[in-house]
Amino acid sequence: MRWWQIGKRNADLERELRSDLELEEEEQRERGLPPEEAASAARRAFGNFSLIREQTHEAWGLAPVERFWQDILHALRAARRTPLLSAVAVLALAFGIGLNAGVFTLLNSLFLEPPTLKDQHSFVQVYPRYTGWFMRQDQYSSFTTEDYDAIRSRSKALEDVAAWQVSSPTLEEGKPNATVLATCNYFHVFGIDRPLLGRLFAADDCNRGSSAQVAVLSESTWKTELGGDSRILGETIHLNGSPFHVIGIVSSDAANFLPGGIFVPYTTEPLLDQARNSFNSPNTPWLAVAGRLNPEFSRVDAQSELSTIMTQQDRAYVKRQVSTFNRKTALVLTNGSFIQNPAIGTRVVALMALILGPLTLILLLACCNVTMLFLSRTVTRRGEIAVRLALGAGRGQLARMLLAESLLIAAFGGAISILLVYRVPLLIMNTIDAHQARNVLMIHPDWRVFSYLAVLVVLATVISSLMPIRAAWKLDLLTALKGREGSATVRSRTTSGLIVVQIALGFALVCAAVMFGRAPSLITGMNPGFDIRHTIGVPVKVDTSAANHANALSFYSTLESRLLAIPGVQSFTYASLGLFGLVPPTEIRLPGQTVGQGKPISVNNVSGSFFSTLGIPLIKGRAFSSSDPTLPNADSVAIVSQAFAREFWPTGDPLGNSVITPDNRRLTVVGIAADTQSETFTVTDGPRLYTLRDPSALDGRLYVNFSGDPKPVENAIRDTVKALDHTQIIAPETTWESLEADAEQMRSLAGIVLTMASIGLLMAVIGVYGVLSFGVGLRTREFGIKMVLGADRATIFRSVTSKAFRNTAFGLLCGVALTGPAMWTLDRFFASALPLRGFSVFIFAVSALLLAAVSMAAAWLPALRATRVDPMQALRNE
Amino acid sequence: MTSIKEQGKQRAAVLQGTLDMLILRTLLYGPAHGHQIGKHIQQTTNDFLQMQHGSLYPALHRLEERGWVTAKWETAPDRNREFKYYRLTEKGKKQLLVEESQWKQMMEAVARVMWPASSKES
Repeated sequence: MRWWQIGKRNADLERELRSDLELEEEEQRERGLPPEEAASAARRAFGNFSLIREQTHEAWGLAPVERFWQDILHALRAARRTPLLSAVAVLALAFGIGLNAGVFTLLNSLFLEPPTLKDQHSFVQVYPRYTGWFMRQDQYSSFTTEDYDAIRSRSKALEDVAAWQVSSPTLEEGKPNATVLATCNYFHVFGIDRPLLGRLFAADDCNRGSSAQVAVLSESTWKTELGGDSRILGETIHLNGSPFHVIGIVSSDAANFLPGGIFVPYTTEPLLDQARNSFNSPNTPWLAVAGRLNPEFSRVDAQSELSTIMTQQDRAYVKRQVSTFNRKTALVLTNGSFIQNPAIGTRVVALMALILGPLTLILLLACCNVTMLFLSRTVTRRGEIAVRLALGAGRGQLARMLLAESLLIAAFGGAISILLVYRVPLLIMNTIDAHQARNVLMIHPDWRVFSYLAVLVVLATVISSLMPIRAAWKLDLLTALKGREGSATVRSRTTSGLIVVQIALGFALVCAAVMFGRAPSLITGMNPGFDIRHTIGVPVKVDTSAANHANALSFYSTLESRLLAIPGVQSFTYASLGLFGLVPPTEIRLPGQTVGQGKPISVNNVSGSFFSTLGIPLIKGRAFSSSDPTLPNADSVAIVSQAFAREFWPTGDPLGNSVITPDNRRLTVVGIAADTQSETFTVTDGPRLYTLRDPSALDGRLYVNFSGDPKPVENAIRDTVKALDHTQIIAPETTWESLEADAEQMRSLAGIVLTMASIGLLMAVIGVYGVLSFGVGLRTREFGIKMVLGADRATIFRSVTSKAFRNTAFGLLCGVALTGPAMWTLDRFFASALPLRGFSVFIFAVSALLLAAVSMAAAWLPALRATRVDPMQALRNE
Repeated sequence: MTSIKEQGKQRAAVLQGTLDMLILRTLLYGPAHGHQIGKHIQQTTNDFLQMQHGSLYPALHRLEERGWVTAKWETAPDRNREFKYYRLTEKGKKQLLVEESQWKQMMEAVARVMWPASSKES
């Protein structure tokens, strides 16, 4: 029996009973009873009609459903009687739930879902962890070209293996553009089989050595950067100056997210970055790898098979003595979602907690407000509830009834919030980064979102009905029935509790807002250990082959002199290591150690002016001087970083000691430079050795130091380079300016958090106000009596405000207890990833002051109303 | 309200085992509507078992729910009116056998306790 057939079933039963009753009546008449007596005799013989009905219902097993339905109908009637209150409650919950679920939808799309939309179960992304090899060991990174080749050719468990790297070359003369260097089966593996326009990559576009210079654009890049004209097909675009033919457009909705806006064959990597050729280096991990499972294999099979392949690769690597370090590789296979990415998974979880936590607080605040509304309704309905109890309704039944009322409100709220689920994610994305919003996201709420929504509705129902149920439960039947509802019916502890909770929640929200509000200034205020405001990279592409050697030399020397002539430019330097990138290590030994006993160190080959140009302070010793030898095979001098000094000479003085390079040069340490954070933001670099660059060499990256405003200098540098060689494509930018862009994004994020916190704060204020006026309303008679007994208005005023003050203080304490651990967690997980410094007295002080101010403001009006109580009026009710 | 419901539950518990069997047995003669079933049981036992409608209809619906009987509105042969006729299903026939044998075992067990001598003789 299904519950929706209940109406039909009921009618059937009714008909059956009625026809049998008529039969009974006929029989009674046949026995000779007069008609009117026959009818009542039949009824007597038949028994209680509604009882039979009820017992039959029990037999159907539907009684609970029916009771629930009655409760809901009752709740509907109750809601219709107080339309304004119900509407406010529905809106508050809709907002609380919708905001939560909307943001969850966004997080779900960004972090929880695999990138592909097609057959998500067979999609596998592989993360390697190389140990014994890289500087920053035990971190998950990418694959080397050799390892990718090995996996692709030998794996049977994966039937199709794609690889890619996201890079950001300059499109035409503009800004860097996220570009994916992808294998030609990339789209197929990601489940994109049809382009929007043109064609996708063909297999022979990716021939090594003779790669086709073709590009596929994402729909959004095509529309925003290139005008959205379909004649783009066959046109040529330039990435870092190299020409690429546009062959197709891929729809933005084709995958859950696309990591970039332009796709080119991965074999064009040498064209895009001449400074390093990742392709042929067995030491450079650069490719992310994902594949599709062969239907006959599971992910576990693939894991063990790939691990075997990588072990073979490790052995071959060590055997060939590519480097002096023994490489070992561990693998993790995931579904490709961010949350499963072993390198950032825990941070993603923490980030989600960080984002959803405050939102849950907003929902809780909304629940508090709804609780207050329900509580006041329960109090005004004391008479009704008392009568119900007196007539024999169980307290459980009563609780069920009140629960049904909140469920109704929460369900309505939840239904309305679905609108927000569709609107909020785009709104947020647009605020943070309008370009990104078009680029990477296709928001589609899935089962996860709706289960989350359901959980929220249930949560809201239970939380917002707890207090009213308690109030009804504790109802004093006798006084309520007499109509003498004393103020004791809602304990002052209940209202105090509500105020404390709301203040605590509001405090936590404001803390979050203050913290995010400070983030942008923390970003731009970051100090990586070198001058980021006045150093600028000058990326030039020069053919340094032997044939062109003389030309290259003269190009560089002309460039140097012209750069120095630019007003504001003070010095320049070359360095072999770029900023913010992974650095392959070199083995550095102490004298007396044999090859293999040394330690992996990053070596930066720099010009003499390096430290002054980049503003890296020397802690001890001297900088390089022009008299230091620079010849490739001669012994020379070196400068070490603080980390290097600690690593090699933990106790002694490094100055005057020597180290040996792999080409057996003996370098004497003449200076110690301060540690920098040049590889990853906010992470201090590992041991670093600075060697002096041969001024006649042609390698290295060029950096310039200037004073004053960066814009004119940047323009002048660009013009200078262009004048020398018009094929050069450069858009110089200081690190600080790119940080500013980050800070800008952070500012909009902070704006969102601030808006949410303001809403939360508003809810808290309204809540506190509501609770206090409710309390004052209940105590009207008490105030009247007090006044008659001689209390003046100031005393009354103080009694209301002092209660509010005590509760606020206690609420703030609770808030600190709530926020403290959260901030501590934040510090632990985000110290290196986000510029959010958690635990700080400043944040707490600002938040506490703000909350104390607003809650006192909220207490003002009710307190004032308490003083306006007319003693005569209050006493007349006695 | 609560107490009435509880009484009903008790009665149902007492009668449930036998009432189901009696109804199934009655339907073995052919399809019948609720009134006929009640009347038949009452008359066959010479009014010893007074049929309570309060337990008859829930029992009928329970049997239908379990698939032991089916119900259909049909015109009565002797009158020009529709009644809800209950019919025994194959499953119901099997159930009747089961209940019958259970009842017999029960009877024997009770008899052994109540009249030990006679049961020893047999």
